[in-house]
Amino acid sequence: MNDPYQVLGVPETATDEEVKKAYLKLARKYHPDNYHDNPLADLAQEKMKEINAAYEQITKMRGNTKGGTSASRSGYGGSARQSWSNQSATGSSVLQQVRMAINAGDLSRAEALLANYSDHNAEWNFLRGAICYRRGWLDEAQRYYTTACQMDPNNREYQAALDYLENQGQTAYRPNNAPFGTENCAGGDFCTKLCCAWLLCNGCGYGYWCY
Amino acid sequence: MFGYVLPPLQNLPEEETVRFRNMYCGLCHTLRRRYGLAARFILNYDFTFLAILLSDPQPPACEQRRCIASPFKKRPCACQTFALELAADESVILAYWQLRDGIADHRFFKGLKYRLSALVLAPAYRKARKLRPAFDQAVREELGHLSELEKARCDSVDAAAHPFAQLLAAAADSVSDPLRRRVLHQMLYHLGRWVYLIDAADDLKKDWAEGNYNPLVYRYQLTADRLDEQSRKSFAQTLDGSVHMVATAFELWDFGCWTRLLEATVYTGLFQVGKAVLDGSFQPAYLGKKIEIPRLLRNTHE
Repeated sequence: MNDPYQVLGVPETATDEEVKKAYLKLARKYHPDNYHDNPLADLAQEKMKEINAAYEQITKMRGNTKGGTSASRSGYGGSARQSWSNQSATGSSVLQQVRMAINAGDLSRAEALLANYSDHNAEWNFLRGAICYRRGWLDEAQRYYTTACQMDPNNREYQAALDYLENQGQTAYRPNNAPFGTENCAGGDFCTKLCCAWLLCNGCGYGYWCY
Repeated sequence: MFGYVLPPLQNLPEEETVRFRNMYCGLCHTLRRRYGLAARFILNYDFTFLAILLSDPQPPACEQRRCIASPFKKRPCACQTFALELAADESVILAYWQLRDGIADHRFFKGLKYRLSALVLAPAYRKARKLRPAFDQAVREELGHLSELEKARCDSVDAAAHPFAQLLAAAADSVSDPLRRRVLHQMLYHLGRWVYLIDAADDLKKDWAEGNYNPLVYRYQLTADRLDEQSRKSFAQTLDGSVHMVATAFELWDFGCWTRLLEATVYTGLFQVGKAVLDGSFQPAYLGKKIEIPRLLRNTHE
């Protein structure tokens, strides 16, 4: 196994507090909530395991019990969102197969199954959305999720998927806890400065042309 | 389509801007050595970003060289590496097809500058095509898909952005480590998507006036040459989703000495440029007109 201090990115001389801080930062970064339905979620999960193991090992080595929020006890690693279910909400066996195909990462099969399913009910829309999301077609994912929620407003699974997509700005990890999002772009200041720099370059012909 | 992926250089410590500049200069010299002087005009930040993504995590070796921009005083630049060669070859192919696209989009006189540039770049392109046939093939196919979608006036922004995203992702195909390839593929797919969408937003006014295809017009059924408040909100959300995908992929690979530059570009630079484009205050840097911002220039001559 790798050196646990290296995994957490702290020197061996770091205080317990520093170790914990480093651990929490990394755990936030690789938390399943940051990688929900992400095609690279498996890699993040590996990272998470590595971090948890490193933190646990350091805590054990230091013989800490006081304030020792062990990785497993601190609740990190589990997702706040319900995990993807293989069980079809409407009990349709085809839609269940679609879920399994999505789970196995076989999006083409899932898509083909959906294309042949004529009842475009709430679950059908939700699953289309899930496929789009995994393909990175985020705009369509949102439209399908929205339709699913409109057709079945009481379904928590559909609502959670839509909420996750729409509230990425609040849940996404960003270094230093700065806000995440184009419209939340930190300080109009930087933006104006950037634009000024560009205007200056382009407008006044200042800067060098790399021909 | 290029010129949007910028590191927020003014927020970064000098060490990082110098590292970035050395890479920029290294790519420029690699282009000159492999493709001659004419190919250097395609140099831009996006291609530098690509070179960084493809680079080894260790700091690159540097050498002192003169160039057109600095004919008397030698300046440090990154030595030619496999990553720089790859980035240079792929840049030439991308830039050439970008120009061909410009020709196809414009009538004869308006397209003249694209024709001339493509003519100048043609020999370089032929060489790059021989060196990277698979990438050339991928780019050609995807641009074919794109022009079909444009002709069909596609009303899905995802479908319209897909070909460009795919072709940028193909830039990672020759990376040998499968894990790294997977991460880069995801990063470049969403970066390409973001670039395509930002470009569409940036060109909205012009496309509206000239009657050219723009996916945003069809997606949001616009009745004017700008996004209304609700469409803008939805569009920003789509952009943020892609930035999130780029960011989550970025965190899964150790980019070593490039981490800070990349982190700043992903988590800050993209948002800044995105907001400037949406506000209509972004000054696009056209292909070939790429210049360095004053901060970089100052560092160079100090």
